[in-house]
Amino acid sequence: MQEIAQLLINGVVSGTILAVPAIGFTAIYAVLRFPNFAVASHATVGAFAGYVANASLGLPAPAAVLAGFAVAGVVGVASDQLALRPLRPSGALTSAIASVALMIALENVLRFAFGNDLRGFDLPILRDWRFAGLRVGPQQLENLAMAVAAMTALFLFLAFTRTGKAMRAVADNPALADIKGIDPERMARLASFIGMGLAGVGGVLLGLDTSIDPLTGFRAILAIFAAAVVGGLGSIPGAVVGALTVGIAEELSLLAFQPAYRTAVGFLAILIVLMIRPRGLLGERAY
Amino acid sequence: MGLLSVEGVIAGYSAADEILKGVSLAVEAGEIVAILGPNGAGKSTLLKSIAGLIRPKRGKVSFAGERIDGLAPRQVSALGLAFVPQEQNIFPRLSVLENLEMGGYVDPAGAQRRIPALLDRFPMLAEKRRQAARTLSGGQRQVLAMAMALMVEPKLLLLDEPSAGLSPIAAERLFETIAGINADGIAIVMVEQNALEALSIAKRSYILVDGRNSRSGPSAELAADPEVRRVFLGG
Repeated sequence: MQEIAQLLINGVVSGTILAVPAIGFTAIYAVLRFPNFAVASHATVGAFAGYVANASLGLPAPAAVLAGFAVAGVVGVASDQLALRPLRPSGALTSAIASVALMIALENVLRFAFGNDLRGFDLPILRDWRFAGLRVGPQQLENLAMAVAAMTALFLFLAFTRTGKAMRAVADNPALADIKGIDPERMARLASFIGMGLAGVGGVLLGLDTSIDPLTGFRAILAIFAAAVVGGLGSIPGAVVGALTVGIAEELSLLAFQPAYRTAVGFLAILIVLMIRPRGLLGERAY
Repeated sequence: MGLLSVEGVIAGYSAADEILKGVSLAVEAGEIVAILGPNGAGKSTLLKSIAGLIRPKRGKVSFAGERIDGLAPRQVSALGLAFVPQEQNIFPRLSVLENLEMGGYVDPAGAQRRIPALLDRFPMLAEKRRQAARTLSGGQRQVLAMAMALMVEPKLLLLDEPSAGLSPIAAERLFETIAGINADGIAIVMVEQNALEALSIAKRSYILVDGRNSRSGPSAELAADPEVRRVFLGG
């Protein structure tokens, strides 16, 4: 019982962290209508930006997260404008395939700049907190708090600002949004900035939890994709629910399987949910 | 020159496609004009060509003395010409209030001023302002779509089959709403399948057949014309 409780705690923490890049992935899908797999390499870009801010410039973890957001966001807009935007008229499938190529290209740029070595953030070594036989690391909780803060900031932006509402309007009904004077290209750039910025935050949080290398994002993309699909592509609350489902399921799978098989949980979650509810848990038929 | 002038417009959805084969139309400030015709006559295509959703291949569209063919929909909208599509004319996952805000997106300061006035005018919207727009009935959605269009204080409203899919009672209420909007001096161009209702509230009407002007004139005269009655009014 205690083991299950520990795995549930770990699952909630890892699911909450996973929710941040999954929201980025689903936000880009909602506005641009294609799955942008380059979210993986932008998570890595964010992780390295956070690493430079923390390990090289000596900034604390929250500042590293902000650096990860800003750098990944800017790289996201630039790479979208240069590599993906010209292909948009060719359709979603072409854009999705091009995003895989972009992911590989960015990964190799990082490899060229930083090498293949594992790198760790410069963090104080703290003893885990223990209660009722359960263990939680202070850094884990700080990461959880930063993930919740990032999601809250996004929620406030989308719910209460004119630009956030316009972004939701484009996701809801792009043709009508255009008629009402909302510039679809401006919203596409904004979605890329926010979506890739959140991927960058996810990369930093993963790095703070373990270590980083040029494949940090690539290793997480299956879980990110699974979280977004399970929750319902294009649904931000769905991405959170999907990420928690995948995070908890991955941890609980350790009860029955070796850790090496953990990544298969993402595949299984996609298969099971889509067989029962093809639009995902919170997905809706949009225009 | 009138408020809206369409001269010899040829347009379609692809390069090879000509749904409109030279349609002309004129609308004066403050009047209601109905566009009638059988399915496939090009009525909705004509509205989309005026609203900037389809670029005419040939011909001229002018609004308040300014050429608008070739402008993007948001540029046309900013000039005071609001288009309400037949379907998908609201943001279903946004609240009613947010839909109104998005209706006035091009003029945020004016939008904040106009929302209370529109909620006063349409008490149903005020009552449901916090609800997601997808929870509204068909007739309520049409009212919301028109209220969104009014957020930019348009000089001309283009309505594409506003009563489609509504019950007779809901359609009757909607036509009353349309007449009320027109009473404020807003000109209306309306495509309608419900020819009898359309002829009863429109000052003038145009009949399109196969992408061309077929008949036009005062609605009362067209309603009394035996051929029009036979073809469009069921005798």
